[in-house]
Amino acid sequence: MSINAAPPAWAEAILRAVLTRANVETVSGDLLEEYREAVYPSRGPAAADRWYVMQVAGFAIRSVGVWGALFGLSFLSRTALDWFVPTSDFANRSVFSSTVGIALLLLAGFWSAWRSGSVAAGTLAGTLAATLGAAISLTGAASMLVLVHDPQTMRAIDASGGLPEVFTLPLMLVLPGLVLGTVGGVLGAMARRIPAH
Amino acid sequence: MAEILGGFEQAVLLAILRLGDGAYGRAVLSEVQSRLGRTVAVGAVQATLDRLERKGLVASRLGTGTPVRAGRARRFYRLKPEAVRALNQARATVDALWQGFQFPLKGHL
Repeated sequence: MSINAAPPAWAEAILRAVLTRANVETVSGDLLEEYREAVYPSRGPAAADRWYVMQVAGFAIRSVGVWGALFGLSFLSRTALDWFVPTSDFANRSVFSSTVGIALLLLAGFWSAWRSGSVAAGTLAGTLAATLGAAISLTGAASMLVLVHDPQTMRAIDASGGLPEVFTLPLMLVLPGLVLGTVGGVLGAMARRIPAH
Repeated sequence: MAEILGGFEQAVLLAILRLGDGAYGRAVLSEVQSRLGRTVAVGAVQATLDRLERKGLVASRLGTGTPVRAGRARRFYRLKPEAVRALNQARATVDALWQGFQFPLKGHL
């Protein structure tokens, strides 16, 4: 047993941010106990830290997976619409898809902060949801491109901003995810403090 | 009708049953890993425990912490009667499916 061994403090901070209030003490205690009693003695410090980080990543993905999937799928739907139902007027589509994206990231931050009581949880949720959404969107767009790349589709892609935009725009949304997650987090933490009647 | 249980839910419920009064998160994790013979993510066990509690199959209470967990509380779980009914039904279903076959299967392919 390695009673003084400590996992990375930043990973523990993330864990505390993604857990519900009711589970913070018990689950972080379970994880610390497993780290100290089983993983650290058998695998050593570096591997034990990696194990801990992977466990925390699992909790983080579980906590924002739905928001990330919704964000990624909404982004991918917009891409598919532009490719397969071309238009020359992108304004309405942009307003709609931007509103949906902003709402999803705000809600991810709000929901995470509301369940944990921490604004940082909202920041983390918005950032992770945008990152996960970007991964889903990029993978989906690449898959669509492999399957469908006839001249008509390629013309529609060019008309809607071209391939560089398809493969860079999702990544550029991580920073807005951080900001919107924080805003949602502030609102969620405030809502948490409103007494229930 | 009893709740229909997934395989992992059954593993977690049976671990709680085996551990009796000592069924807290990390002990359940160790028991599940030992019975399944593979490593399992802490989050997978925790998510299952949360889900089973929401379904009304298990109840929990907080217990004291220990130095190795930096004094953090442990959450102890126990089965509710609904869980026993669901486990019995799951076992009966599997038994019915296997009726007429010898285990391990030989020469059926």
